Amino acid sequence: MLTIKAALAGTLAGALAATAALAEPKTNMLHQWSEGSDAAAIAKLGEMFTAAGGTWEQTSIAGHTANTLAKLRADVVAGNAPPAVQLKGPEIAEWNETGMTANLDDLANKEGWDKVVAPELLPVMKPTGHWVAAPMNIHRINWIWGSTKAMEQAGIKELPKTWAEFNAACDKALAAHLICLGHFSQDWTDATTFEVVVYGQNIDLFRKAFVEGDVNAMRSPEMVKAFEQYRTMVSKYMDPAIAGRDYQTTTDMIAKNQAVFMIMGDWQIGIFTAAGLKSPQDYVCAQAPTDWGKPGFILNSDSVVFFKQKDPDYIEGQKLLAHLILSPQFQTVFNQAKGSIPARLDVDLSNGFNPCQQLSQKDLQASIAGGTLVRSMAHNMTVLQKYRGAMMEVITSFVNTPGMSAKDAANAMADAVEAQK
Amino acid sequence: MANALSGIAAVRKPARGRDMLTAWTPRLVILPAALASFVYVFVFTLWTLYVSMSNSTLLPTYQFVGLKPYFELWSNQRWSIAYGNLFYFSAFYVVLAMVIGLALAIAIDQRVKGEAVWRTIFLYPLAVSFIVTGSVWNWLYSPNEGIEHFVRSLGWADFTFRITSNRETAIYAIIATGIWQSTGFAMALFLAGLRSVDPDLIKAAQIDGAGPARIYRKVILPSIAPIFIAVAVVLLQFAIKTFDLVVALTQGGPGIATTFPANYVYDLMFQRGQIAIGAAASIMMLLALAAVLVPYAVWTTWRSRRGAIRG
Amino acid sequence: MVDATYDLAFDPHARSANLRFIAGRIAVYGFLGLFALIYLIPLFVIVANSFRELPEITRNGLIAIPQSFSLKAWPQAWLHHCVAGTCEGIHRNFYNSLIMTIPATIFSTVLGAINGYVLSKWRFPGSETLFACMTLGVFMPGQVSLLPWAFILGTVGLSNTIYGLILVHVVQGMSFTTLFCRNYYVGIPDDLIKAARIDGAGFWRIFFKIILPLSPPILIVTVIWQFTGIWNEYLFGVVFTGGRQQPVTAALVGLATNSMNARSYDVASCAVLIAAIPPLLIYFFGGKYFVRGLTQGAIK
Repeated sequence: MLTIKAALAGTLAGALAATAALAEPKTNMLHQWSEGSDAAAIAKLGEMFTAAGGTWEQTSIAGHTANTLAKLRADVVAGNAPPAVQLKGPEIAEWNETGMTANLDDLANKEGWDKVVAPELLPVMKPTGHWVAAPMNIHRINWIWGSTKAMEQAGIKELPKTWAEFNAACDKALAAHLICLGHFSQDWTDATTFEVVVYGQNIDLFRKAFVEGDVNAMRSPEMVKAFEQYRTMVSKYMDPAIAGRDYQTTTDMIAKNQAVFMIMGDWQIGIFTAAGLKSPQDYVCAQAPTDWGKPGFILNSDSVVFFKQKDPDYIEGQKLLAHLILSPQFQTVFNQAKGSIPARLDVDLSNGFNPCQQLSQKDLQASIAGGTLVRSMAHNMTVLQKYRGAMMEVITSFVNTPGMSAKDAANAMADAVEAQK
Repeated sequence: MANALSGIAAVRKPARGRDMLTAWTPRLVILPAALASFVYVFVFTLWTLYVSMSNSTLLPTYQFVGLKPYFELWSNQRWSIAYGNLFYFSAFYVVLAMVIGLALAIAIDQRVKGEAVWRTIFLYPLAVSFIVTGSVWNWLYSPNEGIEHFVRSLGWADFTFRITSNRETAIYAIIATGIWQSTGFAMALFLAGLRSVDPDLIKAAQIDGAGPARIYRKVILPSIAPIFIAVAVVLLQFAIKTFDLVVALTQGGPGIATTFPANYVYDLMFQRGQIAIGAAASIMMLLALAAVLVPYAVWTTWRSRRGAIRG
Repeated sequence: MVDATYDLAFDPHARSANLRFIAGRIAVYGFLGLFALIYLIPLFVIVANSFRELPEITRNGLIAIPQSFSLKAWPQAWLHHCVAGTCEGIHRNFYNSLIMTIPATIFSTVLGAINGYVLSKWRFPGSETLFACMTLGVFMPGQVSLLPWAFILGTVGLSNTIYGLILVHVVQGMSFTTLFCRNYYVGIPDDLIKAARIDGAGFWRIFFKIILPLSPPILIVTVIWQFTGIWNEYLFGVVFTGGRQQPVTAALVGLATNSMNARSYDVASCAVLIAAIPPLLIYFFGGKYFVRGLTQGAIK
């Protein structure tokens, strides 16, 4: 009797253990990278996932980020949270508060993520001290790009290092009948250029206003000064048709040597490459102008958040996916395709990476050492979306309203943020 | 308008089982649809109303906070701009689309050759996805690649046509493209209406010596008055839902000059995680709609009551 | 219609009247022609760009006289281009859209006809109010109904399935189709119905023998309206499906909207035209019924 019972129990336990071990990792990653080099980069993740024995599925939503977030909310409300979602910045903390996100501490501790991931990213990926997101890359926002031939034509020898040099270089460009700063006006591009200006003038101002969201810093004379520099850039150094222009056309302005400079993040590398441009023959890169002379870095990072699942296959898939994302191999191929640099600090960039990307990693290390590393507001890494949205509305209005004074803009921005509190 | 007394089931009371079934079948048949509509229209609206007075942010939550989200909504400059844009756009869009649609219908009605071709040309914008045609219009309005560039390449070096780059004129681009998209529908309705006017009426007016313009004004247009209402309703619901037009043409720019309520609601609910405020904005949109529909409903009911009294 | 012909032989004012007639014709055709040109410009651009080579497009601009010709972009768009998560072109999305749109159109049309029949011929206390309520559904913006729908689909277990999406479109479309059908059926004389009832016909018999045979114009109208509306709809199609079930509009947004990457204008134009074919076909063949069906009954 006893032996039969024991045998039955033993068989049952064995079967259960076998089932758990047999869980086939599968996933369905929700993201917004549906076209071009972004999609190619994610495809690599899919290849690695399949090679490791998993079943790869993805839901890629084109268009505005809001579409991806709409689908995420719809799925969560339907009780069907996706196993893996592309989320970043303060939204990771917000979703974590709902209690629906999965905890990756076991995997993180086993693989030692705390030691290899850039320190500025840790509070974003671990909002309450536990790992809930896996960072895929690090983008650098504060780049200035220059068209080699246009610079020659205007007699500009090298990319400007300070804002005073920038203005002087632009005056030369205007004298040569070129557009100095190629730009297209959308809320995120106006905000990107402006945060680069603020950062370059005054890191403390950036930290207080854009990272902490301090309203008094937004009203300060330093912020007014930043808006004044921005007004000079918009009215003198950009051309009048910035609203309604698109990204591709702006890149073409650099490619065709009609514009001298462009201020944009490092994904510009991917776009230049796709347009057949090479550095340094066609374009050069440098840190965007700063008035304080040290290496600086405005950081943006894409990451994947995992939502708690009931299906053991999805749970296995999440572990596999997180493991793959943080693997040096994925960090290498993904970032080669995307133009950014790995989120892991220990990956060697000497093979297969563009010189601008290598410079990016060097500057990242220097910036960490020098204490000048900050996260980007324009790319949703610091303040909550409601504050960010309010700030970006004021900034883009400022760009498109020639009559708006710097002081009014600074106050409007502060008022808009206050209204959301 | 059909007589309110017609269509009522048999006057005799249903005495036998089969008659009972006949009396109840219609109600049973429409029940599922009625339920579905009830849920879709009322339950959804009530849910939105409740959420607009809750503390929802990232996800819907149900703690009541009163009118706070409405105050937050109206303290946003972008909302006042969006709401104003809605009224401004709707007025121009509905009126102009009707006028142009009517003009096109009258023109086609002049026994022109190839009517099917003209009709298809004016109707095709409705058939093709606006995501697509909107992008093309975006290219057309763009100074570097569109009409301005094309005309300049033909020789007129100073030609400028950059309405989407200017805060004052960008909304006209949206109005124009919106009209382009839906006027065909207005035209189709008016055309069918013009065709169904009683020919005897027209003959009588011609015998009286009236010229074409007078005939249109005094005889034909008045007899298709209900068509105007139908067209206005369809155009109005397009106007309220304006979303794709903005996304495709201006993304709400320059700056925030052409932002519209539907876009702002979407942004609040899904981008910024402020669902309560988004719901409040939705209720404001529905109120704007009610401001037009309720007077119309009252007027129709008053008119049909007056008609019934007059016999 | 205004009859503008004059008998030239008899009318003493014939010559000036004839000139006026010709001037009138020129005005009418000129007016129509001008608008037709404006209307067709986007179509010209898309068609031209689908046959141009991409380097030539980027060199000469999107709006230019074509200087190259190539058929390469077409198979790319249908079978190979990487968009919306796969590198299979848009053919799968196209089939997904067909699978979703055809049933949704059929169901919402059938339901609209039945509802319209009930609300126009079998009135009961409250039926007018019910009709007004159902019509209100026409005005609901998609952003407002998205989360409630997500909740309902999740509760009945249809979330992220094509059936859930069909359900959403049927319920939403029912508002339009009921409106159209009811206003149309109101124009069918009630005496016909009364006579049939006296002859002993019941609810369904009357529907199939009397109402349905008279319905083709309005049914074609509802089919056209629903098909194009559902086929071209983006938001719900994307949010309520997942993975490889996404409709063709999802691929179009990926190809046509402003993105951070180099756009393949040639492939995008081909994809757009391919995706536009079903609605355009329906408009082309059904167009004359569309005009005819919309007003029969609306004026009476």
